Formats: sequence, structure tokens, C-alpha cells
Amino acid sequence: MNAGATHAEAIGVAVTRVSKRFTHAVKGVVHAARDVSLDVAPGEFLTLLGPSGCGKTTTLRMIAGFENPDEGRIAFGSQDVTHLPVNQRGIGFVFQNYALFPHLSVFDNVAYGLAVRGQPGSEITRAVGDVLQLVGLAGYERQFPAQMSGGEQQRVALARAIVIRPRVLLFDEPLSNLDARLRVQMRDEIRALQKRLAITAIYVTHDQEEAMAVSDRIAVMNRGSIVEIGTAEALYHAPRTRFVAEFIGRANLIAARVGAVGDRHADVEALGRTLQVALHGRAPAAGTRCLLVLRPEAIDLSDREAASDALVGTVLTRTFLGEKVEYTVACAGVTLQVVRHSRGGGDAYAPGAPVAVRVVRDAGTLVNDAPEGDAP
Amino acid sequence: MVAAAAARPGFGARLRAEPAFAVALALLWVLLAFFILYPLAALIARVFVDQGQFTFAAIAKVLTDRNQVAAFRNSLWLGTLVGVGGTILGFVFAFAATRCRLAPAVVRAIDIAVLLPLVSPPFTTAIGYIFSFGPRGLITYDLLGIRGASVYGLTSTMTAETLTYFPIAYLTLRPMLAAIDSNIEGMALSLGASRARVFRTVTLPLCTPGLANAFLLLFAASLADFATPLILAGNQFPVLPTQAYLQITGLFDLSGGAALSLVLLVPALAVFLAQRFWVARRSYVTVTGKGAGQAPFDSVSPAARVVLVAACVAVTLFIVYLYALLVYASLVKAFGANDALTFEHYRAVFTEGLRVLFDTLVIAAFATPLGGLYGVVMGYLVTRRRFLGRTTLEIVSMIHYALPGTIVGIAYLIAFNDPPIVLTGTALILVACYVFRYGPTGIRTTMALLQQVDPSLEEASHSLGAGTGTTFRRITLPLVLPAFFAALGVMFIRSMTAISATIFLVSISWTLVTVRILENMTELRLGMAAAFSVVVVIIVFVVIGVIGQVLRRLRTPGSKPVTGLLAA
Repeated sequence: MNAGATHAEAIGVAVTRVSKRFTHAVKGVVHAARDVSLDVAPGEFLTLLGPSGCGKTTTLRMIAGFENPDEGRIAFGSQDVTHLPVNQRGIGFVFQNYALFPHLSVFDNVAYGLAVRGQPGSEITRAVGDVLQLVGLAGYERQFPAQMSGGEQQRVALARAIVIRPRVLLFDEPLSNLDARLRVQMRDEIRALQKRLAITAIYVTHDQEEAMAVSDRIAVMNRGSIVEIGTAEALYHAPRTRFVAEFIGRANLIAARVGAVGDRHADVEALGRTLQVALHGRAPAAGTRCLLVLRPEAIDLSDREAASDALVGTVLTRTFLGEKVEYTVACAGVTLQVVRHSRGGGDAYAPGAPVAVRVVRDAGTLVNDAPEGDAP
Repeated sequence: MVAAAAARPGFGARLRAEPAFAVALALLWVLLAFFILYPLAALIARVFVDQGQFTFAAIAKVLTDRNQVAAFRNSLWLGTLVGVGGTILGFVFAFAATRCRLAPAVVRAIDIAVLLPLVSPPFTTAIGYIFSFGPRGLITYDLLGIRGASVYGLTSTMTAETLTYFPIAYLTLRPMLAAIDSNIEGMALSLGASRARVFRTVTLPLCTPGLANAFLLLFAASLADFATPLILAGNQFPVLPTQAYLQITGLFDLSGGAALSLVLLVPALAVFLAQRFWVARRSYVTVTGKGAGQAPFDSVSPAARVVLVAACVAVTLFIVYLYALLVYASLVKAFGANDALTFEHYRAVFTEGLRVLFDTLVIAAFATPLGGLYGVVMGYLVTRRRFLGRTTLEIVSMIHYALPGTIVGIAYLIAFNDPPIVLTGTALILVACYVFRYGPTGIRTTMALLQQVDPSLEEASHSLGAGTGTTFRRITLPLVLPAFFAALGVMFIRSMTAISATIFLVSISWTLVTVRILENMTELRLGMAAAFSVVVVIIVFVVIGVIGQVLRRLRTPGSKPVTGLLAA
């Protein structure tokens, strides 16, 4: 019955062409999820990342079984769970607002899933003790949720979800109600716990840094669809779409025209110069108009006299942020964002100062000009 | 925001999937049809159908009778005065309680005194008023030496009703004032506005919807009030509810009384609609229950504070004085004539009056649990479940709560007096009247409580493997238990004190304390009326205390207290 109770090996989750429509009071029919497909490997930590309203939570709630997809299938391992009720799926769900039962003590909250499964009392006591130890809440058994801090409540919610040994662990923006420092600490703990328990996990967030920190892979969503799936590094360094380039990290998007195309490199005309970029995947045709994506750290500044053939720019603003310094630089008719590590003295280009601008070799990548188009 | 494209399953599918839910829903519809819709239909038919013919004759008779037209005008005028006066008084109390940094003990004392008129039989203030200002009144006769003072008329009725009903305004305005983020007022102050200007340009505008709502509530309460005018209005100032009552009990003209009550329906309905569709949409302040209460800065000038506190203390003392007179009158041989102390009246209450007390308690004992159960089940269904006709069900369930008791009483009298269904003379008709008239307070508290309970709690339970039944039993039910006990409290108080509907439904076999008190008043057995009133007030206060204890026990450590539930 409850496959989650006898958890043995991690299983994968397959979401196949799932769609969900809602009727909105003002906007009419809204496609919350459109043809979403996902393949989560056993033991993998996958994050659904996107702006609010992109369909990530709806997708997660369909995997949990809180919503029924209008089309498509969802499978846990080899079992089709599309029409299986929530309470038979063997999932652990961690809610944004924790959803702790306010009338039950910490012990009873955590024991709830085990009691529902009819486990004997001694077994429950042992399991609850173990899991509270695991999340660092040993001794809190008799407290009530309203007496605890947000971070502690979140740990109870986590304990309650994992004590039933779920087949799949689902997180719906679990850290968004915590303060910044606690958020960083909790995300590391969640990640460590998931690896230790080797449970397949799907995590929803709108915070890209959080997504990069916890995930094996990230699925970036927009307007109900998955735009790209990949590791954090691949999405950051080699985005294939303008949306991902802009949504993950910061990017300078510069109008460019493809020149000579080689095996692994291509020449592009941008900023009035010919620059070499590395190619990821499909090569564009020579002469195509596209956008050159330059991360702020892929641009280097130096004293103007040092490199006579470099681009010339003028510093507009300088913001000191501790370990790094951010500049905006006017150059070849565009405004570039530049980030440099603080290195003591010698880094203070004041606003108005002329600087030499150099693009780090092979650092750029090309995307299509369309806001949400495919790769060029 | 985004509501699920509600695929509402049909009744047949529901019956198979969740038999308990389907049966409960069907049962509720049958009960509502039988005890709410059918009596109203019978009332309307009685007025508009004569010997199988549609006719306006009954209504026309009312509208051409100068006396009745005057009663209609008087009712509206009285309601307006009580609405304005009570709202102002309620606002003064609420403002003092939230802004004047009163000691908690003072606020508690005011709360208890203000609660007195709300939980007493509705005419208790009026009786106290007679003892104070009547022909033999303490002030008029003993203090001022006026002989044959006339207390009856608009002024007395208005004053007594204002004192009786202003606590409603106080209880709706106080959480609203407390919920206004004091930083907003502080911000205006920091921008250079004076305290008076902050009050005029920030605080008051934010309260406008609440003030409008309080006015409508008081207007409706005055419009429906039957007992106070019966005692205090006299024959120079007829109002609709008393006219309808006299038409039926004095002239045995059931159709005429029904027609009069239907005239009363028009303003009552207007108020109900205004509240539901106008005031409800104009709220700036969300009452979340987490209002801090006291402002962190002095938002009231010392002079204003003195005036406000003095006004509150004066009104509170006046209420206490009226109730003290009541107690005094119950303990002397004959108020105003013979001041010898005696327990004669109490002896009478517990001998010849014992049956009435017993009848009332039996009816309350049945109405209370049934009404509480009805409120919680209905409240749960309309907030948490999706089904066809959900909004209709909710509105129908609220009808008798919104209507003046006179209409409901006459409708029951007409519907259940003749075959096919004869219930007059039974206890059942009284129990049913209470359940469907005051059960809605339980519906409202349950709805309010459930709206604070995030649906994710139920989802969490499902995700942990629990089915619908287990989730309802172990999560939802414990969370709405406070609403259930609050509903029990309201049901019991009303069963002990209400009169406007049930005065038409009492019989030789089953009668009520409130009706007996009124009879005592008309028979001029004032001491006994006072003793009965004191006994009822004591019983009600004891029950409120017990329920308050239960509500405290239900609190889990760290959670917010459930307050204000009894005031619904």
C-alpha cells in the first residue's frame, strides 16, 4: 500500500508532456503548465526555477498529487501515479509556510505520518527521536509550533516529511520565509540531508543562487514551459536562450553578427571589433544576427595606456561591494556591466575615467535575439 | 488569484465517492427547505393569496392605514437614531480601549459591563430604565419628585436601545481600530500633522467602512427590536414589530400581522444587501487578530483622553446603575412603594416560575448542541468544499439570521399551525426556530476560523498518507473546535434570552422565561420580572464563564487566544 514506508532504493520521476489550465477571474483561461516534460534520475536533486507565475509550483503540486494534470502522465519509477491520490504516492512535501499542525506538539507533528500508517507506538517513538536528532531538534518533542522560531519550524516540517521515508521529497519554496543568513544555512543542510538519505528530490524556488547551491540540475521555467534544463554551470556559462542568460546571473547582451564559423569557435562582430567565442552545441550560420552574452566578470578593465589596441570606454559608476567592485562602463555605444575582484589599491577607476576594455578570450556565448527563442 | 477550473462533480458521483458528505449535504438542503424556505413562502402566500386569488389587499390595507404608516416611519426613524447614536458611542469606547493606554484591568471591567446588555434578555435595559425614570422611578419620583412622570415614547426607547445595542458597534470597531497599523498614524504625525488632523485624515477614513457596517448592524437591530418598544414606546410611538404583534395577539388578525411583518422586510432586506455587497467590499483594514491593541505613541492628546475616558466611564456606570436597580427591585417588596428587603420574588421564581425555567432550559439544552453542530458542519462545507449551489446554500442559511425575529416568528406560526404540518404548541418548533435563527453565528465563526487555517495544513496531512476522513477528524475538526464551543455559547445565550420570534410560538405546554418576564411587566409584577431577569443573567454569565474556560483549555501553548467569538 504505502510504498514509502519501506523505502529501499531511490527511484526516478518521469513527467511526460503534462499540462494544466486554470480559469482566472480576470485573465480567463491561464496555462499554468504547458507540455512540461522532466526526467529526474534516482537520487537526483532537481530544482524548478523561474519567476513568479511561471508554473513551477503548479508542476510540483501535480507531481505531489495536489492538482490533477489536464494532460500528460507522471510516473514514479515504473509506477504510473497520474491518478493516484496524494496519500498513496509516498511523497514527502515541505511547504513554504511549513504547514505544521498548530494543535499538535512537535512529536505529534512528526509522528503523524507514521501513526496514519499504523506503525506501533514504540517504533514511532524511536523513528521520531532519530529524525529529530538528524535535524538538530532533539529535546524539542513537547514544544508546540507557535513556540518555535521560523528556522526551527522549518526543521520540524523537514523532519515530518522525511520520517515517513518518502519515495520522493518535494520542496515548495521552503526557505522563502527565513532571513538571509538562515536561508544559506538551511539550504546547505537540506542538500546534505538529501545526499545522505539518497532520496530523489524536486525543489521549487525563484532564487537562482539558492537553486545553484542545492541542485544537481536546474530546470528553468517561464510562462508554464521549461526553457532549459542543465547543471548550474552549463546554464550560467553556456545559456542557449536569452531568457536563461538574463534570468541566471547578470549578463551584458550585445548585438552581434556571426562571422567565420570554425569547429569549436566562431568569430563575431560586436562592439566594433571581431571577437572569438566558444561554440556550445549547434553552430550558427555565418552572417546571422544574434546576441553576444558577456558575463560581467568576462570583461576586464585596465589603464588606457597599457593596451593601445583595446576598446576604449568611460567609467560611469563604481560600486564597492567588499570582495568585488562593480562598474558600469560606456563603450562603443552601449553600457557594459563589469565586475572585478577587489585587490587592494590600483582598482579605483573613478567615474569619468577613461579605461581600456578587453573581453576575456572565449568567454562569451551566443543566443538568439528573441526574448524566449531557441538557441541560434 | 487563480481558482481551479472547478470541475464540480454531480450528486450521484459524490454519493458513491463520499457517502457521508453527500448525505450531509442532502439532509441540510431538506432542513433548510423545510425550516427556512417553506415558512417564508407560507408567509408570503398568506399575504398575497386570498382564496386562491392573487391580491394586494392585505398590503394595501397596511399602506393606507395612517397608524401603520406612522409605525413604519417611526421604525425607520428610531433605527436611524439608534444607528447613529450607537455607532458614535461604540466608536468612542473602541477608540478609548485601543488608543488611550488604559490599564488592562480597566478595559476588562468596561468589557464586562458592556457585555451585560448583549447577553441579557433584550428588554433588561428597558426594565432598568423604567425603574429609574418611570412613574415611580428612582430619579423621576424619588430624586426629582415628579409625580406621574411619563417615560414612554421615542426618547426612552431610543436611549434604551442605544445602550442595549451599542456594544455591537464597540465589538466590531475595536478589532478594526486595533488592526490599523499604528505606523500609518505615526507616519502622518511625523509628516507634521497634528493629532486631530491625523485622526481626521487618516484614522477616521480608514474606519469608514467599519462605521458604515456598525451603523447598518445597529439599524437592523433596532428595526427588529420588539421587546424594548413593547415596554417603553407606549401607544404614542408605535413601531412595526409591536404593531404586528398586537395585530395578531390583540386583534387575532394573522394576515394583517403577516402583511405588517412583510413591510418590515423591505428595510431589513435593504440593510442585508447593503452590508453584503457594499460594505464588505470597502474594507481597508484586514482584521487578522494580531492587532497589538495599544499604539506605541501618544495618539491622543491629554485633554481628549480625559474626555473620552470620562464618557466611557459615565456610560459604563449608567449601565451598571440600571442593572443594580434591577437587582434592587428584585430584592424589595414593591419597588418605589415598599423598600422592605425580601426574597419573596426569588421564592416565586423557583416555585410557580420553576416550570418556565425548566421549559426554557430544556429547549436550550436541545437547541444548543443541535445549533452548534449545524453551524460547524455548514461552515465547514461552505468554506472547504466545492459543490453545486454552495453560495446559494450559504445565503439561504443566513436568511433567518438576517431577518427581524418578528417575521420569522409569524412565518413559523403561519407555516406550522395548520395541516399538513402542525408543530405549534410543541417544543420542536421553538428548538427549530432557535437552531435556524442563531445557528448562523456558528456558521460565521466556523467560516472565519477556517479562513485563517491555511489549506496547506490539510494538504500536508494528505501528503503524509492520511485520507479525507482521517484529515477531517485529526486536523480540521480540532482546529474548528473553538468555533463549535463559541457557537454553543451563542446558541445557549440566545435560547435563554431571545423573544421577538419565539413570542409567537410559545404555548400552554411550552413557554419561555423571556415571555414570562414580559407578562410580569404587563401585570405590573415588577419584582418578579426583575428577579427572573437577574436569574437569567446569572445563568448566562455562568455559562459564558464555563465556555471561556473551555476555550482557554483548547488553546495550545504559544497560539493566539480565540477572542470575540461569543460576540458574533
